[in-house]
Amino acid sequence: MSGGLPKALPSTGPHSLRDMPHPLAGSSSEEAVGGDSTPSPDLLTARSFGDKDLILPNGGTPAGTSSPASSSSLLNRLQLDDDIDGETRDLFVTVDDPKKHVCTMETYITYRITTKSTRVEFDLPEYSVRRRYQDFDWLRSKLEESQPTHLIPPLPEKFVVKGVVDRFSEEFVETRRKALDKFLKRITDHPVLSFNEHFNVFLTAKDLNAYKKQGMALLSRVGESVKHVTGGYKLRSRPLEFAAIGEYLDTFALKLGTIDRIAQRIIKEEIEYLVELREYGPVYSTWSALEGELAEPLEGVSACIGNCSTALEELTDDMTEDFLPVLREYILYSDSMKSVLKKRDQVQAEYEAKLEAVALRKEDRPKVPSDVEKCQDRMECFNADLKADMERWQNNKRQDFRQLLMGMADKNIQYYEKCLMAWESIIPLLQEKQEAK
Amino acid sequence: MEQAAPDLERPLQPAPLEPLGHPDAGPEAAVGEEAEGAPDEEGPGDRTMTENNFCLKKIEISVSEAEKRTGRNAMNMQETYTAYLVETRSVEHIDGPSVLTDSLWRRYSEFELLRNYLLVYYPHIVVPPLPEKRAEFVWHKLSADNMDPDFVERRRIGLENFLLRVASHPILCRDKIFYLFLTQEGNWKEIVNETGFQLKADSRLKALNATFRVKNPDKRFTELKHYSDELQSVISHLLRVRARVADRLYGVYKVHGNYGRVFSEWSAIEKEMGDGLQSAGHHMDVAVCRKHELMQYDLEMAAQDLASKKQQCEELATGTVRTFSLKGMTTKLFGQETPEQRESRIKVLEEQISEGEQQLKAKNLEGREFVKNAWADIERFKEQKNRDLKEALISYAVMQISMCKKGIQVWTNAKECFSKM
Repeated sequence: MSGGLPKALPSTGPHSLRDMPHPLAGSSSEEAVGGDSTPSPDLLTARSFGDKDLILPNGGTPAGTSSPASSSSLLNRLQLDDDIDGETRDLFVTVDDPKKHVCTMETYITYRITTKSTRVEFDLPEYSVRRRYQDFDWLRSKLEESQPTHLIPPLPEKFVVKGVVDRFSEEFVETRRKALDKFLKRITDHPVLSFNEHFNVFLTAKDLNAYKKQGMALLSRVGESVKHVTGGYKLRSRPLEFAAIGEYLDTFALKLGTIDRIAQRIIKEEIEYLVELREYGPVYSTWSALEGELAEPLEGVSACIGNCSTALEELTDDMTEDFLPVLREYILYSDSMKSVLKKRDQVQAEYEAKLEAVALRKEDRPKVPSDVEKCQDRMECFNADLKADMERWQNNKRQDFRQLLMGMADKNIQYYEKCLMAWESIIPLLQEKQEAK
Repeated sequence: MEQAAPDLERPLQPAPLEPLGHPDAGPEAAVGEEAEGAPDEEGPGDRTMTENNFCLKKIEISVSEAEKRTGRNAMNMQETYTAYLVETRSVEHIDGPSVLTDSLWRRYSEFELLRNYLLVYYPHIVVPPLPEKRAEFVWHKLSADNMDPDFVERRRIGLENFLLRVASHPILCRDKIFYLFLTQEGNWKEIVNETGFQLKADSRLKALNATFRVKNPDKRFTELKHYSDELQSVISHLLRVRARVADRLYGVYKVHGNYGRVFSEWSAIEKEMGDGLQSAGHHMDVAVCRKHELMQYDLEMAAQDLASKKQQCEELATGTVRTFSLKGMTTKLFGQETPEQRESRIKVLEEQISEGEQQLKAKNLEGREFVKNAWADIERFKEQKNRDLKEALISYAVMQISMCKKGIQVWTNAKECFSKM
């Protein structure tokens, strides 16, 4: 863990972090869980700043800086985004190793977060911390606060009905782990969000709770300014492209909802089918016990049906654990995206209202007052960020669903192949005696 | 008991074993009839249906069509029923063309009548089963509707199988009533009823319903009865669960269909396996065992009868009373019989003894013959059953395999579509 003072490094990275003393300076409190594996104390690895300068996407400047996001810099962003893939990736985050903690007040699960990075924002090349769900939840709120113009990935659902789902069952924990891993990876892949200070602390801090208590210490300017939008402004009309996005998201969420319902229904039917199969197979065994010549073939049929039952159970488990959660994640994603759209509307509404107010004042000022100018900046940054994020989102969504649906097809194919093998293996069993005659 | 109508075109199996106690029943009649009917063409180990069955070589039977009919029943009420077309073809040479020789319509109740007749007249033979009367093991939530086309179709196949099995049975195929069933549409019912088999059936039924405790049951038959009871229970359980399994599977596929754009609709309906399994359930005729028990009971009765008569004879001759009896007491109290009286009594008793001994011999022989024939038929049936079941299981497996292959194909196609996303 980085315990030393931040070094003054030449960097064009986010300024705010560099300007503040590292939150962990001198901190010695342990985490709730002991036994964190501390990374090897390789303090400094050579970093080629030259390279970094080239690949740095947008400098991670929060949208709240005074320079307006011109179309050329937006273009820069989009071009450089593509370079992030593959070899140029410099940040890797993984969520694994869930562990249960039993305390007097409560029982909960923590997950190990492993970070490997060559970025200057990280003092060490490698970190390993443990986090629980509420830490992720905190991170997400912070991101929403500090990066309101961006689409923040969704978290798996927070609340589970206590009697119905076992929060500590292996399947539930594993499903959640995968979703949390996806969450962090999405942030990692985002050119702006991945440089967010809260994200950095989340990945590196030994005592996150202490940092949390520091409260609004690192609130970015945009966060503050956006918070000041009281929401009393009403937008006259949404620009076409954002209206289109809004409509798309509405329909998308609807379709996903239907698919989710169908998938759940299928799983339910398959489980009921499984129940019958589990009764069906053993009857052949019972019958086999009565027979002489037919005993072996009948026992074979019973075993065959048993194998098919097991295969079916694996299929329904996979669907429940891998397919449904991703659907739900995307429904949550589109919900949060819609609220970002609304926030954008708010910013535009404020700008338009203020602009109108100025016009109505009929003052003979050639220069537009600075606060109206700021509103315009905000709006244009928002629009740019949102558009860039939408495009990125569409791409990722396509890949995610391609993978998801191919995976579903694969699981079904494997199920049928297992059954096929089982049934094909008993045919010789049924035929051989006849030929021996 | 009356015989069937005298016009004989094909060798008729004469009315078999008379009910017990019938004065006409004699050892010669019993033995002779069995000898005539004994299928000696069944060589050692050769019990296949296809060979040595001149019946199948000569004719082909099919139940080719089903038709809805309306008519008036016995109570002059309108009813709807299904009639089945039974066609018989004769084949002159092997691989030669078949010529349609007979064609008539029969309804299910007539099949039932034929079967009941065969049951009564061939008590030692396992008579093939009929398809179920009502749609008992329904799936896809169909109502138990006898007019449902699927049900009618399954029944048609079952009826055809029934006729083919009777025709390929070495003994049953030669029955006159069976022949008339295939060839004479009108008046057939009356002819069957004229055989009076129903009275026989009634008396047999009454005898069967009494609970017998056989003292020395043939172990083979006891085991067989036990087996058939268990088998019946297992098979009906199997069919019930299978119907539910089919139902659920159908439900799973149906819901998949809702996916619309990404899945093609699929439905699985089982036809062949259903019939094979249902028949197996009916197969084992418990009556065969019960009739054997009946025989043994009579044997023991006769033996007991004889024993007591012998004892009586002895007592009279020696004048001693082995067991206390009122008769013995009265002679002691009221004097003995005259020697003449005693002589005549002894003579009568001796006659009765010899008669009883003969009866016992006959019953014993009858019993052994019955057991031998019944067991032969059971062996034949067992092998047929094993063959049929294996075939049914193979075709079930084949169907499952084809379903799996289709599933693989559907999802592979889907996967390819997804990969192009």
